[in-house]
Amino acid sequence: MRSGARSGLGFALVALAPVLTIYATVRIYPIAETLRLSLHNWNIISPRKPFIGLANFEELMGDALFLEALRNTTIIAFAVLAITIPAALALAALINHRYGSRLAGFYETAIFIPHVVSLVPAALAWKWVFDAKLGPLNWLLGRFGVAAQPWLYDPVLAVICVIVLCAWQAVGYAVLILIVGMRNISPSLYEAARLDGANSWQLFRFITTPQLKPVLLYVSVVTLISSFNIYAQAFVLASDSQGAPGKLVRVLVLDMLENSFRNYRVGYAAAEAVILLAIVLVLTGAQFRLFRDRSAAS
Amino acid sequence: MSAERATGASGVADRVIDVALMAISFAMLTPLAFLVSNAFKTPAELLAWPPTLIPDAPTLDNLRAVIRETPLFRWIFNTIAFATLSTAAIVTTSAVAGYVLAKFRLPGFGLIFGTILATAIIPFEVYMIPLYLGVQAAGLLNTLWGLLIAYLVMSFGIFLIRQYAMTSIPDELIEAARVDGAGEWWIFLRVALPLMRGPLGALGVLAFFQAWTAFAWPLVVAAKTEAQVIEVGLALFQTGFTVELGRLSAAAAVALVPSVVFFAVMRRNFVRGVAASGMKE
Amino acid sequence: MSARDAFAPPPGPSATRRRALCAALAATLMAAPLPALAQQKLTLWSGWTELKPFYERVAAQFKKKHPDVDISVEVIALREHEKRIALAMPSGAAADIIEMQVEYGRYAEAGLLPPANAAATAFVSDPKHFDKFVQDAVSVSGKVYGVPLFRGQTVLFYNTDMFAKAGLSGPPKTMEDYTTYAEKLTQRDSAGKPTVSGWSLRLSGGGMGIAEKFWINMHQYGGAVVREKNGKWFADYANEAGRKTLKQYLDNVIVKKTVSPEMKADAEAFSLGQTAMFIRESWVIGDIAKKAPGLPYATAPLPKGSIVIPVGLYVPTKDAKKAALAWDYTLMANEPENLVWLLDNVGWLPNRKDVDYSGVIKAKPAFEAFVNYPKDHSFFTLPFITPVSEVLTRLAARLEKGYLDPALAGNDAAIDAFLKAAADETNTILKREGFYGAP
Repeated sequence: MRSGARSGLGFALVALAPVLTIYATVRIYPIAETLRLSLHNWNIISPRKPFIGLANFEELMGDALFLEALRNTTIIAFAVLAITIPAALALAALINHRYGSRLAGFYETAIFIPHVVSLVPAALAWKWVFDAKLGPLNWLLGRFGVAAQPWLYDPVLAVICVIVLCAWQAVGYAVLILIVGMRNISPSLYEAARLDGANSWQLFRFITTPQLKPVLLYVSVVTLISSFNIYAQAFVLASDSQGAPGKLVRVLVLDMLENSFRNYRVGYAAAEAVILLAIVLVLTGAQFRLFRDRSAAS
Repeated sequence: MSAERATGASGVADRVIDVALMAISFAMLTPLAFLVSNAFKTPAELLAWPPTLIPDAPTLDNLRAVIRETPLFRWIFNTIAFATLSTAAIVTTSAVAGYVLAKFRLPGFGLIFGTILATAIIPFEVYMIPLYLGVQAAGLLNTLWGLLIAYLVMSFGIFLIRQYAMTSIPDELIEAARVDGAGEWWIFLRVALPLMRGPLGALGVLAFFQAWTAFAWPLVVAAKTEAQVIEVGLALFQTGFTVELGRLSAAAAVALVPSVVFFAVMRRNFVRGVAASGMKE
Repeated sequence: MSARDAFAPPPGPSATRRRALCAALAATLMAAPLPALAQQKLTLWSGWTELKPFYERVAAQFKKKHPDVDISVEVIALREHEKRIALAMPSGAAADIIEMQVEYGRYAEAGLLPPANAAATAFVSDPKHFDKFVQDAVSVSGKVYGVPLFRGQTVLFYNTDMFAKAGLSGPPKTMEDYTTYAEKLTQRDSAGKPTVSGWSLRLSGGGMGIAEKFWINMHQYGGAVVREKNGKWFADYANEAGRKTLKQYLDNVIVKKTVSPEMKADAEAFSLGQTAMFIRESWVIGDIAKKAPGLPYATAPLPKGSIVIPVGLYVPTKDAKKAALAWDYTLMANEPENLVWLLDNVGWLPNRKDVDYSGVIKAKPAFEAFVNYPKDHSFFTLPFITPVSEVLTRLAARLEKGYLDPALAGNDAAIDAFLKAAADETNTILKREGFYGAP
């Protein structure tokens, strides 16, 4: 873009300025404010916010609940990522393959709708599915001779339940993005390859996948970040609203909200956010590296 | 050109794929089928065990109660207004910023993009307190502006458009337009945007449903019941002790209707993809 | 490849028009803010959905007295209610009337909550209306800040059919009875696994509830999670009372297996006939009437005493005229006729004592145990110090694991070590927040 570099520069800055202004006001400022609070002790109501240095972080390192939340969240996020991306890629490829068929719309809608349904009633339906005594899942397992499992009560199984619920919601989003990505690949690429005698698998492997790389990067970053931010899913599955409480899978956001609004320790919750930010930044950076390296190799 | 590629592959393979996709679709819908079914159950049947998928004695009481006792349609209307405006704002800001960040390489852009992405990492609930205090200081509590202010931009939206723009808009196309003397705005509006129709449609869907399912922010910013959005309205059916499951499900089922309709309408917009967008060899 | 072709499709005029339409629509909507607070409109925030009809009933009466004033009742789940209060109180954006439990203390002390007006103070201070315990629960250093409304108090609910079948003629009298009764009441399948729990204990769930229930049981043995001394607090459960309480849980869950964590629990299990007894507040009576009207059950006071969580109405509004109206509303909610309706229709226990509730109690004898308890019955409440929820949440996390730990069952030394570690943590939190005082 040599010839247009001059006008391009002006355009880029003018176009970006309003967006960045909004960004600075509604995202950067409140986030910076939050990060600043991580070095302070604040209970929301007090006008005093004494500076306490890294004391919040020191305390976090020995906080059993925080460490448990960190462990659970990491496990859940990676599991959701590991399930969602391959499943979504396969589903998107299959649906894309059947795009001419009338059923494609149904498939796409059926898979996407879990992403938008109100979480609480949906999670209550899932509580039934997982119910230890007579839930359909245990009934199904019983037919294969597997003993009934206390899904929502066992510390390990409860984490699996949260993973399943999150993956159920995440996969529709990923499928939608991937299908749009596949539809946006120029048909000419396929035609040329087909003339060279490539079969469907080869088309998928050597054209679809590399062309999708930026979109795949997007989907995996978003899935990982969103999974690190889950909270309501874990809460609803364990909630005692029906008098049938499950094992509470403590996740980071839940712990932060409790610290902010129940324990009134905003600075402490902000310190948790800083740690979350650091972890996810590193992971996101790694994903960018991974995708860039591969494209360089291919 | 037909969207269906004539591959010559046997119809048998397609039938197998259909069966598999059908099975997966139904599996995905099963929990929702329970939800819809719950909407038509009596309190006694809701407690019955094992749960029934088709209500024994279907009742419209839950629906009636929800419509009579809550401003459900008002909530849905509020949400549609809020979600529409938010979608318009997000699609606009993301299209501009995503395109610029994908197609212009200026010093500092990497940092800007990284910062934008990093803001998506911090859960909204965490920085909600400073943002709330800001909105309150600006006197925007209980106004649509106050509600909207948190939903004008979407980090993932900018990211999404950037990623698509990188592959879907060939640099040669932009370059050729410049050679022809086209202005940058003209290129953006007439060259880039048409090629991004699919991704922008998808982003529209995502932005709309992000607003549609918003909870934490509307709860505190639009604290008045009649000014509420659907997700907060639904939460009014819960208490710490018991859940009015039948009514909650009925309200959630009603709220699903516009969601499905909106998705179906929008879907037509972005399924066409590149083949229909006018770009050919 | 020709770039020119790409420019071919002219922009549809419809697209332009649509955009203009959207912009116009947006402008219209923007210009119309959500309905602003009318001059004569009061808002009430509550955290109990089942109370909505009650507040609306009072609002209707209020409207008769003040035809130009509307009251909007906005109820949401307790957790969200706490959140909106935490955000709105410091910024002065809270509703005109809000319902609070012990957290009113922190707002009153921070100067964010004005004291009650003269009329409300006079009403609350009258010993004819409220016990001192209740008056204290809406006051800070002798000054009245709110009007008490109702309270959460616990009793034993037991299934009379199951008791009769097990040959038990009445409710358990001592805590030791609870375990022996639970053993007799448990129904098992052929493999010996419990299918109907003898005594439903809170073994899992979200947050502090587990510790609160533990405290209720421990109160019967004379223990407390935190106890006050000269305005300072200390953990009081690494002792015999704590050991007996935890041991009883372990006995029931691990040794005698009268209950297991995956069984349905609490009010739901009771309504379904899947537990023989459990401890809970009075709202269960209304809940059972709705969900399992035919259930044969009775209630009994706990052996030594109960938790009492008082809930009151507060008026954070600074506008003098609105505040006067708001206080008037809180007094109207305390009219005898409304309180009788509250007990009868919602099931929460009103605090005002000079009201004749006998009609309701006669019709619904399950309320008896809540109001007619032994003279020496003792009550405790959650202290209104900030760290209390953190203390309970962290204790709950430990208990949830401890209840299922076979290494603790039957091992007093291990139990003591467990409680010691938990109590140390409690004291550390109290120290950090400046509330700790050695016993």
